[in-house]
Amino acid sequence: MTDTEESGDRTAHPWPPVERTPRVGAREKVTGAARYGADHAPPGLAYAIPVVATAGKGRITGLDTAEAAAVPGVLLILSHLDDLGIAPAGYVMADGYAFQSLQPLLDDRIAYRGQPIALVVADTLVAAVHAAGLVRAAYDEEPFAVELDAAGTETVLQEEALPLPFLADVVVGDADGAYERSPLRVDAVYETGPQHQVPMELIGGVAEWHGDTLVVHEGTQSAGALRGGLARQLGIDPDRVQVITPYVGGGFGQKNSLQPHLAPLAVAARRLGRPVKLVLPRAHTFHAASFRPVSRHRVRLGADRSGRLLAAIHEVDQQASRRDLLPATYTEITSRLYGISSFRGRQRHVRTDVQTPGYMRAPFEHPAAFALESALDELACAAGRDPVELRLSNDAGADPVTGKPFSSRHLAACLRRGAELFGWAERPPDPGSMRETDGTLVGWGVAAGAYPVMTVPVLARLRARADGRVLAEVGGHEMGQGITTALARAVAGDLGIGVDRVDVVVGDTRVVPHHLTAGAWGTNSTLLAVHAALLELRARLGVPREGPVDVAAAVAAAGRSAPEQDGAEVVAEALTKGPGQPPEAVDRMRAGLVAPAGPEYPGHVAFSFIAHFAEVRVAPAAPRVRVSRVVSVADCGRVASPVTAEAQVRGAVVWGIGAALSEHSEVDPRFGGFVNADLADYVIPVNADVGRIEVAFVGEPDFTLNPTGVKTLGEVALVGVAPAIANAVFHATGRRPRSLPIRVEDLL
Amino acid sequence: MRPYTYTAPATLEEAVRALSEAGPGTKVLAGGTTLFDLMKLDIETPPAVVDIRALPELAGIDTAGPRELTFGAGALMADVAADPLLRRDYPALAESLAKAASQQLRNMATVGGNLLQRTRCTYFRGGPPFPCNKRLPGSGCAAIGGLDRGHALLGGGDACVATYPGDWAVALIAFDAVLDVTGPRGTRTLPLAGLHVEPGERPDREHTLAWDEIVTRIRVPVTAAGRGSTYHKVRDRESYAFALASAAVAVTLGEGGAVEECRVAVGGVATRPWRCPSAEEELAGAVLDRRSARRAGAAAFAGARAGTHNAFRIELGIRTVAEALRIAGERALR
Repeated sequence: MTDTEESGDRTAHPWPPVERTPRVGAREKVTGAARYGADHAPPGLAYAIPVVATAGKGRITGLDTAEAAAVPGVLLILSHLDDLGIAPAGYVMADGYAFQSLQPLLDDRIAYRGQPIALVVADTLVAAVHAAGLVRAAYDEEPFAVELDAAGTETVLQEEALPLPFLADVVVGDADGAYERSPLRVDAVYETGPQHQVPMELIGGVAEWHGDTLVVHEGTQSAGALRGGLARQLGIDPDRVQVITPYVGGGFGQKNSLQPHLAPLAVAARRLGRPVKLVLPRAHTFHAASFRPVSRHRVRLGADRSGRLLAAIHEVDQQASRRDLLPATYTEITSRLYGISSFRGRQRHVRTDVQTPGYMRAPFEHPAAFALESALDELACAAGRDPVELRLSNDAGADPVTGKPFSSRHLAACLRRGAELFGWAERPPDPGSMRETDGTLVGWGVAAGAYPVMTVPVLARLRARADGRVLAEVGGHEMGQGITTALARAVAGDLGIGVDRVDVVVGDTRVVPHHLTAGAWGTNSTLLAVHAALLELRARLGVPREGPVDVAAAVAAAGRSAPEQDGAEVVAEALTKGPGQPPEAVDRMRAGLVAPAGPEYPGHVAFSFIAHFAEVRVAPAAPRVRVSRVVSVADCGRVASPVTAEAQVRGAVVWGIGAALSEHSEVDPRFGGFVNADLADYVIPVNADVGRIEVAFVGEPDFTLNPTGVKTLGEVALVGVAPAIANAVFHATGRRPRSLPIRVEDLL
Repeated sequence: MRPYTYTAPATLEEAVRALSEAGPGTKVLAGGTTLFDLMKLDIETPPAVVDIRALPELAGIDTAGPRELTFGAGALMADVAADPLLRRDYPALAESLAKAASQQLRNMATVGGNLLQRTRCTYFRGGPPFPCNKRLPGSGCAAIGGLDRGHALLGGGDACVATYPGDWAVALIAFDAVLDVTGPRGTRTLPLAGLHVEPGERPDREHTLAWDEIVTRIRVPVTAAGRGSTYHKVRDRESYAFALASAAVAVTLGEGGAVEECRVAVGGVATRPWRCPSAEEELAGAVLDRRSARRAGAAAFAGARAGTHNAFRIELGIRTVAEALRIAGERALR
């Protein structure tokens, strides 16, 4: 086994040209053969349904379960009146495992509407649902606040509340002074959120005990967190928890940590001696897991008359829960997207009475880019510069914050290539100057995006088999982003064998430990480990460091020369981590805790970049914005799997269309919680809302970052879509959107 | 969801009997797209359900007759939306179905059941803790002073401003549709305009059917205005969304573009399907142009009462009527 930092082998590995490998598992998914967590249906399965609080805050003064318990088939009703014998799992961003520190069902406190207050378990789903509707609760209600400006909120400064170096406000130079002296100034406030991730796969799974071992089947981005967290909650050895999650039906951050339903589900399964399944109704998912909080951004840009940026000040207020603070990194990209010599960031948290908000695709970068890239468009107008030219003239050389070089930075190439593909040169500068014969206004907008490249510890094990097949067991999760395809492609390409000769196992704690897969670090981190494992495998097979391998023959030969290997397979492992990561990072990974490195590495900083170009049409009668086409060009290093990478970007553009034009979680301050808690009223785009999407990649490998040359893509793909659309709306109509979503009433 | 008894009679006669025997509170099940949805939310809790989906008496449509179009109440929305004659001669009727819900829902839902689709008001559907006079008479209305962006501008009151969500009934009411209804007391004919009622003091009462009656057939008198018609629907996304404002419009034009026959109804903005006689009067004899269309739209919304977040839909509604008149006028000239 090798235990290397990725920098151990700096030579450019001879990765063959990447073929357009179809998505691994695509056929299984479209035919229904793929088995997701809640598809697991062991014999004797019982069904659970939660009961949730209708009060906005307070205490439960009475819980009447008699009528529910009398429903035929009801087996168990868990609540705070019971002693569940479970401990809180701790907040994922405070050395814990759960999306929030609050574990429901342990006491009579109600922190927010929608919080679970009981769990009903029955022989059938019908009986469980029926009984759950019969549980009656009485509350002693308290005043609550669910909006940023409501009375009763509490605002705290991040660098005081979370005194960690990487969460301190970014301050470079004297931004306030430089701003005041700037001849051109933009000063505007932008707001987005709240939003919910609403993946198609609902939250839920199956808990079953095999003797003293708890086996969990659940769609999750963090099998390790479920393992470590459940062990902590139940007071058992982590080796007695197995988490199996071969497919995740969309995570987007919602499934990045332990959800509070699982420990009570495990308790129910243990008490009943039966496996128990819980699938949360869609409405419950709006309160059962994290969401994208409201964030309000005041952006001030100072520039010379040509639009050359002299100063930027980015101040953010982010909604928080009463208990936990989601570490905010909005200014991480706004301080680096351009070569701004004077920058000041300030991030605050506003405590409200909600479940703890959390990560939703490009959690900070999407809102931050909406603010900065809209402000930049306003600056371009003020300076009379073309928005693409303005961005190009403000490109950065070295990292403005640390002075270190970027591992690679091809933002200018993204902008130039995108402009060419889009036909940007034809754009008339004045708003309202493109109009079709029926009066429909057309607008073109551009925006850029960046996302930090982070790297996490990964253990990869390769098994070369006597039949010539190779099995890769890797600590990662397949959420639809295509990690399996990228890994299979990498192994097949390296050994010169067909992709169909490679099997990939991810999302299974029985074979390797799993770090959280999020932050777009899944593919680059797992490829790094697989790259190292391939070198180790070649050594063990006694074959050269590169070139095609006859796996069956090599395994047979290795078996002859080393009889202690049984001849059936040759196994190689590698454990990798990010440059500069301490060994404790590996311990944290093994424990199911988060341990990412980056974007600041010892010798450089690493970001992926993107440029989006959007065309919108606004009809005169009902001025609803339609996105007729988008061109996106990404700098994500080497493209590990073109088919799934393009799908990632197209999906992100669809996300951006929703974020810009329709997605909004409605809040009624009289009741708390979220009101439009279903897919009819939480408006995500349908196919008919999505015009043509063209995706291209710079494709330049980043061998400074790691030997695979792969940066990250899944998150950066969304960053900048919304402001590109908003800027196009301004170009079409002359009206500047400063809050999302941009709906018909904003343009009437 | 509560347990309920389920019967699936083979004939209309049996269904009427089964309904009577099951007693008040029993619900008729057609496509199930509203009823099961609300049962899963514990909003509808019928002790018994009588399934009329397979009744032969409710099947079939006829869009070729000389005097009237007839639609069996059990015909599927998807089938009626795709009817070639209807699409040619009464595009407003076909479009009102094609622009409703999603293809999957239209494959299940019936044109009779769709008339009685209940409101999408989130406070009604959300259950506790939201007060709702429709769901729990006397408890109050959370929408008034609340999130009322989608709520009614026309026909509301102090007890309820829930929007009637359907599209099909809006188009039908523009064409003076009538309903055949069967119950234990026999068969009667009811104008569609007499089916839905405004909330008034009793928002829980939404229509004039007795609990033991079944809609069997929808009939629409033949009119030349059908060809010059459209159902124009404005919503937050291109498909699978309820109307922010919609308009069913049909016109015939005479010499010089003067309006001869004119029918206007609006949807998504009122507590029931809303015919607009004042808009029709505004246009009668007038030349159909941008200004007269706009005047008709304004007349349709003259009595509108806005709440907190929905005032923009008055202007949107006016424009929607005007735009529908433009489309219908172009069709009438073809």
